[in-house]
Amino acid sequence: MFDQFSFSNIVENDGILITVVGYVIVFAALLFLYVFIANFQKILLFQQRKKLKDKGHRAADVDDLSISGETSAAIAMALYMEFEEAHDLESTVLTIKRVQRPYSPWSSKLYGLREYPKR
Amino acid sequence: MGGIDQFIHFTGFANMTWGHLIMLAVGLFFIFLAIKKNYEPLLLVPIGFGILLGNIPFMENVGLQIGIYEDGSVLNYLYFGVLKGIYPPLIFLGIGAMTDFSALISNPKLMLLGAAAQVGIFLTFLVALALGFTVDQSAAIGIIGGADGPTAIFLSSKLAPELLGAIAIAAYSYMALVPVIQPPIIKLLTSEEERKIKMKPPRAVTKLEKMLFPIVGLLLTTFISPGALPLLGMLFFGNLLKESGVTKRLADTASKPLIDIVTILLGLTVGASTQATTFLTSESILIFVLGAVSFMIATAGGVLFAKFMNLFLKEGDKLNPMIGAAGVSAVPDSARVVHSMGLKEDPSNYLLMHAMAPNVSGVIGSAVAAGILMGFLLKVL
Repeated sequence: MFDQFSFSNIVENDGILITVVGYVIVFAALLFLYVFIANFQKILLFQQRKKLKDKGHRAADVDDLSISGETSAAIAMALYMEFEEAHDLESTVLTIKRVQRPYSPWSSKLYGLREYPKR
Repeated sequence: MGGIDQFIHFTGFANMTWGHLIMLAVGLFFIFLAIKKNYEPLLLVPIGFGILLGNIPFMENVGLQIGIYEDGSVLNYLYFGVLKGIYPPLIFLGIGAMTDFSALISNPKLMLLGAAAQVGIFLTFLVALALGFTVDQSAAIGIIGGADGPTAIFLSSKLAPELLGAIAIAAYSYMALVPVIQPPIIKLLTSEEERKIKMKPPRAVTKLEKMLFPIVGLLLTTFISPGALPLLGMLFFGNLLKESGVTKRLADTASKPLIDIVTILLGLTVGASTQATTFLTSESILIFVLGAVSFMIATAGGVLFAKFMNLFLKEGDKLNPMIGAAGVSAVPDSARVVHSMGLKEDPSNYLLMHAMAPNVSGVIGSAVAAGILMGFLLKVL
């Protein structure tokens, strides 16, 4: 079956046609998607700029309105620190919460111990 | 005495052939690679164990209903999902629910790298044709270059079910061997200077863009290549579940339990389909060789196209050509390989996010290519 390499099999089965047309179509499909996404970004930026202009923001005239992932991460971290972590005032209200530890033989540690802990 | 005689004839020892031993060794090797070398363990452990399952010798065709190719056996029922192309779309659903397309949306020109890498599929298709495979078989073999196991299984189940075992094993083996196959080709085709190119960090992508992408992606690609509908439909559906933000439970199920269950069934049955008596042929060996060729051409195609694009891009916007190699799909391994190669050249050069863009684009590209080949070759009833 594979004794000899034969180009006639390619020609007889329209191999070249399938290859060229197939590859071009793959490229075309992804090119369409690329064109759409690239233009959709522009439409979004145009709308964003218009909104900023209507509100009178100076940022409307900035060339590049996009924010890099690194900048977003830095802003997110700063907000987190502001609202969750860094604080100058501690809450002075102390309460004792009752924590229930219902007993169950399934969760009892004693049943899992071979030797009782030495005190 | 007759009972003992029959029992002896039924044992694995009595039915063992050299083929079984070879395949058992292959199965053990896969398990070794997965556990010791950590090469795609989620795939290679089920496939490796499946190879062991499929190659325990037994007396065939006497109504035992044990083997994967025997009607009524448990393995045969599970294999139905492979034969009828049920598992691949379900895997794609999970992949869609796990995939973040942000990198691609933020730099959409990288989509073309995913298209360029599909050259491996079509050139290998031609080589397989010239070697005497039928046109359907050649298309199924070529798709190994897409480096996408589910797509390879889906297409071969439709066009060349007789080669399914060999194609699936080849596709998954090469996916697992990405860290071995790709680096030498990338190094051969790029200079040290090129490998050190730092790319602009991707911009933040809005939620609206992320939600629209699966819808527009589905409409654009499947109108062009309707044959890819089962794969791309599920991929984009899974992604919409993730990005819509209102179906978290469904996205979690698709991306965790569902894909895990299907991976187990798919891996195990594909492995078991390598039963020595039907699998060990000269065709299977040739398919392995062609698969490797396809994968190498695809890698080279992506890298060379990235270099070609650099000719038209201004300084600062240039691509690190190594990311072209990630266009073969094999998500996320090829992106990880590119990333680690980038770090070796320059420890401050993080290419993972950039490489993920052609990587996910490659998934779409290989599914589109499969759809096109089906459109050309599937016999209309």
